[in-house]
Amino acid sequence: MTTHARHLRGLTIVTAVTVTVALILVFFYAPLDANQGFIQKIFYIHVPLAIVSLVGFVLGGVFAVAYLRTGDRIWDMRSYCAIHMALIFSVGGLVAGSIWAKASWGHWWVWSEPTLVSYLIVILLFCTYQPLRFSIEDPERQARYAAVFAVVCGAFVPINFAVVRASTQFLHPRVLNLEGGNLPGSMKLAFYTSLVGIALLYATLMKYEMTAKATRSEVRRLRRRVLGDDELRPLGRTAAPQ
Amino acid sequence: MIALLAEAPALPLHAAGKYVAGAYIVFLLVVLSYVAIMAVRLGRNQKELAELRALIEQRERERDETDSSRESEPVA
Repeated sequence: MTTHARHLRGLTIVTAVTVTVALILVFFYAPLDANQGFIQKIFYIHVPLAIVSLVGFVLGGVFAVAYLRTGDRIWDMRSYCAIHMALIFSVGGLVAGSIWAKASWGHWWVWSEPTLVSYLIVILLFCTYQPLRFSIEDPERQARYAAVFAVVCGAFVPINFAVVRASTQFLHPRVLNLEGGNLPGSMKLAFYTSLVGIALLYATLMKYEMTAKATRSEVRRLRRRVLGDDELRPLGRTAAPQ
Repeated sequence: MIALLAEAPALPLHAAGKYVAGAYIVFLLVVLSYVAIMAVRLGRNQKELAELRALIEQRERERDETDSSRESEPVA
């Protein structure tokens, strides 16, 4: 069992249970919102996906700092997987938010809404991470340049969030603040359970991806030992760390 | 949990059900697509591992055959 695969089964079970409990709380425990009614249920999936994806982008930057400090390729792999997963979650959050906007505001997208547009900018920014890696053939340079990109863009995320938060003109509802937010208790319980569930799902899928990559490199290593370097199919240019 | 579900109100799906269902289905599809991609990669790894295992077994068989033929040769 590799270091990545350790605790994977336990984490998977905990994630499945938490997500199931969260869905039950969302649909059968949390009351209907007085203004939006049933549509507000999208909030319990959209906001956790958005929060977890943004934290994932920052996490990618933190792992990239660790890579630049230590030079250990495992941190590059973690940074890559964190950003990859965050991108997937952000697409889910964006689509869920768009559906909510259509149901609530009557439009799929509102360009004058700073939270939406800034979130899209962050996603587009991180969409260039993989093409950047793909464009560099040398693995050492690829990892180093990608780490610098992840650090700079990871630092941009909280700055961007703070600037939009400070904006006075907005339509987007504010759910969380330093005083604990404005949700009633039952909605808060459902929301935080969903948030924990999505965060666990992020951690589980990221761990799966790292395990898959570690297994792949182990298979290649074995192949090289058994067949020799000549028999090994060339990797070609790849965005993923090897 | 069963008591909680029994007490739970019926979901008003007629009003905004399609939007809520859409959002949650998107989430499910994103996760399922990712899991499907991971399954394909796992299948590829398993295939390569099976190839390697077969190759190692074949080499071990050949080595055993060579050893046994050497043992059967008369010593001068």
